[in-house]
Amino acid sequence: MSRIGVFVCHCGENISRTVDVERVAAQVGKMPGVAFATDYKYMCSDPGQTLLKKTIQEQKLSHVVVAACSPRMHEKTFRKAVEAAGLNPYLCEMANIREHCSWVHEDKQEATAKAIEIVGMLVERVKKNRVLPTITVPVTKRSLVIGGGIAGIQAALDIADAGHHVVLVERDPSIGGHMAQLSETFPTLDCSQCIMTPKMVDVANHPNITLYSYSEIEQVDGYIGNFQVTIRRKARSVDEDKCTGCGVCMEKCPVKKIPNKFDCNLGMRPAIYVPFPQAVPNTPVIDRDNCIKFKTGKCGLCQKVCGPGAVDYEQEDRLVVEPVGAIVVATGFDLYTIDEKPKGSMIKGYGEFGHGKIPDVIDGMTFERLASASGPTGGKILRPSDGKEPKQIVFIQCIGSRAREKGISYCSKVCCMYTAKHTMLYHHKVHDGQAYVFFMDARTPGKAYDEFWRRSIEEEEAVYIRGMVSRLYQKGDKIVVMGSDIAVGVQVEIEADMVVLATAIQPRTGADSLAQKLGISYDKYNFYSEAHAKLRPVECATAGIYLVGACQGPKDIPDTVSQASAAAAKVMTLFAKDKLEREPIVARVKEAGCVGCFACKKVCAYGAVEEKEIRDRQGNLIKVVAYVNPGVCGGCGTCQATCPSKSVELDGYTDEQIVAMIEAL
Amino acid sequence: MKSTNSMNSTNAMNPKKAIYNMNETLKYSYYPGCSLHASAGEYDLSTRELFKQLSIGLTEVPDWFCCGATPAHNVDELLSLSLCAKNLEMAEQVEGDLAVACAACFSRLKTTQHVLAESDVKRKQVEKAIDAPLKLDGKVKHLLEILARDLGLERLAASVKKPLSGLKVACYYGCLLTRPPDVTNLDCVEAPTIMEDVLKAVGAETVAWSHRMECCGANFTLSRPGVVIQLTNAILESAKEAGADCVMVACPLCHGNLDIRQKEIEGVYSVNYGLPVFYITQLVGLACGLTADKLGLGALIVNPMPLLKEKQLL
Repeated sequence: MSRIGVFVCHCGENISRTVDVERVAAQVGKMPGVAFATDYKYMCSDPGQTLLKKTIQEQKLSHVVVAACSPRMHEKTFRKAVEAAGLNPYLCEMANIREHCSWVHEDKQEATAKAIEIVGMLVERVKKNRVLPTITVPVTKRSLVIGGGIAGIQAALDIADAGHHVVLVERDPSIGGHMAQLSETFPTLDCSQCIMTPKMVDVANHPNITLYSYSEIEQVDGYIGNFQVTIRRKARSVDEDKCTGCGVCMEKCPVKKIPNKFDCNLGMRPAIYVPFPQAVPNTPVIDRDNCIKFKTGKCGLCQKVCGPGAVDYEQEDRLVVEPVGAIVVATGFDLYTIDEKPKGSMIKGYGEFGHGKIPDVIDGMTFERLASASGPTGGKILRPSDGKEPKQIVFIQCIGSRAREKGISYCSKVCCMYTAKHTMLYHHKVHDGQAYVFFMDARTPGKAYDEFWRRSIEEEEAVYIRGMVSRLYQKGDKIVVMGSDIAVGVQVEIEADMVVLATAIQPRTGADSLAQKLGISYDKYNFYSEAHAKLRPVECATAGIYLVGACQGPKDIPDTVSQASAAAAKVMTLFAKDKLEREPIVARVKEAGCVGCFACKKVCAYGAVEEKEIRDRQGNLIKVVAYVNPGVCGGCGTCQATCPSKSVELDGYTDEQIVAMIEAL
Repeated sequence: MKSTNSMNSTNAMNPKKAIYNMNETLKYSYYPGCSLHASAGEYDLSTRELFKQLSIGLTEVPDWFCCGATPAHNVDELLSLSLCAKNLEMAEQVEGDLAVACAACFSRLKTTQHVLAESDVKRKQVEKAIDAPLKLDGKVKHLLEILARDLGLERLAASVKKPLSGLKVACYYGCLLTRPPDVTNLDCVEAPTIMEDVLKAVGAETVAWSHRMECCGANFTLSRPGVVIQLTNAILESAKEAGADCVMVACPLCHGNLDIRQKEIEGVYSVNYGLPVFYITQLVGLACGLTADKLGLGALIVNPMPLLKEKQLL
């Protein structure tokens, strides 16, 4: 015989305003199986929980129903309290009489009657609840970090410093990402390379970090604590162990004029190359599309001059499998491309700005390379068309960002600040030059950010024009910028020598296919989705996968680094335990009834259903049945609804429990 | 020869043309618009002659009337939608998609279809006003689309008798042909190539220039001529600087501003452009072997004859 305790909460006035809670408690107290019923102002408060615990022990309760808010709100709270009082936490259920009753009704009489019915259903349900043991799974205390920009580097270093092994995978030949391309950084104007490259070296030297550069994620299997990740190590054509990074191969390579992507195609590189001198690893890679050896079979010069014999034309892609317990995704961003718009894309281009046709219309990253001391011009601001110094320069903000008609409605967050920085860098390098900025709003929330923006106007003489540009066109060697100044209400035309477009931040091309491999969700722009915008900002809804940096949404360096350390802390929290505990709300197969049709396997979104052989004592195979891996099961119940022989049930939501609720109505 | 029996004998003789049977399909209803019956008579004439030459059927919508461009939509939305809706409804009685020559008519007709498809309320109001139910799926096509897409560049090129080689043309789109993109859906909104494609197919050379998408000030040509002269001057100046021999348009309003006002502009700015302004149908017609008379070249204010003679196109 069950001794059920029912606790009806007032929720301040939230429930008691429309539901007569005392009457609910009195009525429910008369129901069969209920040994005790009471009401209390705040059940979730400390005295409320103490009341619950005390009553369980005094009344020797077998089951508990808390009639209060939604289980999404406080189920965990009360189950913990019940556990503390010595009961199995899954013998506690919540009756939602707030969201489902008091909040949506006005008539107290009717609402009270409904509340009694709701509690009655849960009383019948809880009678059928079973003791569920907590499920534990082992944890592989190694972590995978995808992406070797500042986000991935910081996360990898933090996890590695805590003593856990990290596998860092980078798609490009070198780590460093976008930050390695920047000249100076806001709001302090410290040199990006100077603060970035030491961290890159730390990664290379860290005993706890395995760096796979020029590699991509091929496949991800498993679940939290137990992932198996297949990594494709693309053929570099140079043996990383043998290469000393002397650079003779790059000097001797006869193909010299390949536009270097790292320099936004302004500088040139050979066919065997490192993207930039401070690259990590400092091992060249052969660009097989442009190498004479790969195109014609002749040449082979780099192999001849390589002292240690590291050049290997026969090298092929290799697949390596790494077991890891946690995955940090830090794949970063691409800049919006103005001139090209992918077919069928919701994102439109900006034909009116002539980017790609007028050589001196460049994007912000190209300006960074021009301003960078290690860039193709040695830090001089020069026009790509004729190498002259621009005396009038126009910056246009919000290209792609906050432009619903062009397909992107979000703010890219960093452009106001980097444009202010660009005007300063320009003013420092071209003393007699004039910078103009067309802007919609200046968004500068951040420590010392607004002061930085004001400085670009007040001390560095940038002229800010509030208004947008309708179009640009080439006139002789000038670019005519036609815009509006909405503060004054006039049309503005500026004959500029160079125009810099602050283009929007977008997720990496292919972000969606990586998300599908990882089983994480993403929004309509392909930014990865966090589990909760405010309270779980670095976790994915998929357990054991964490998000860092611009792959989750536009972000600047300080925010990215903070998020990286936060994700690293989450990984360490996971690794602090030897075994993982998880909620035992998982599907269970009743093997006697299972006919092995595996309809459940087909519908399982988590890949949790496996095949299990049943053998007799002599070892003869009797039948093959379904088996649900409790570590992987997401507890959605789809298999239960699908099974034709009713042989699989979701613990905590069995048919017996549901039917009991319906019968109580 | 047997395999081409179904085609007419001329095509069967010529394997290149045999790929396309020109007499087979293309038929349009035709909405000339007011300008083509008045100041732009040569656009109407050259359109009819060119289509005849290309064996494209063209039947004028009986009893059509003004689409309301350009003032109606600034004054009374219901009136402007109803004018176009009634014309669209009458066009449905004639076989074929609706061919439109004027960019302003094109814009108004397409806008009407777009607005009425989006709003049930407006649609009901308009149906009441014109006292007829509306179908909104009839296709409205600018002549450019018909030449470049329906007929196709290859078939167009195959019809060329006298390629316009050596003629450097500044293709002028104006503002209405591609904008707004969701409504006209004609080509890439800010960097279209459809005019250049057509002209290249008939052997002309096109220049890259900055003002091909600028507004000529059409709406203001009578009320604020000062504004129009300023805008139009910038267009002509840019075409001249780019090395064009002439300008090509696909809109009678653009043509009025660029051609009729050119002398006046030259006077105001003390410059000499001397840029003939052709309609697309005139240049394509010329390439397809039509004579100056049939194309109404004599009606152009800036005399094109010296240029055409110099390029040996007459």
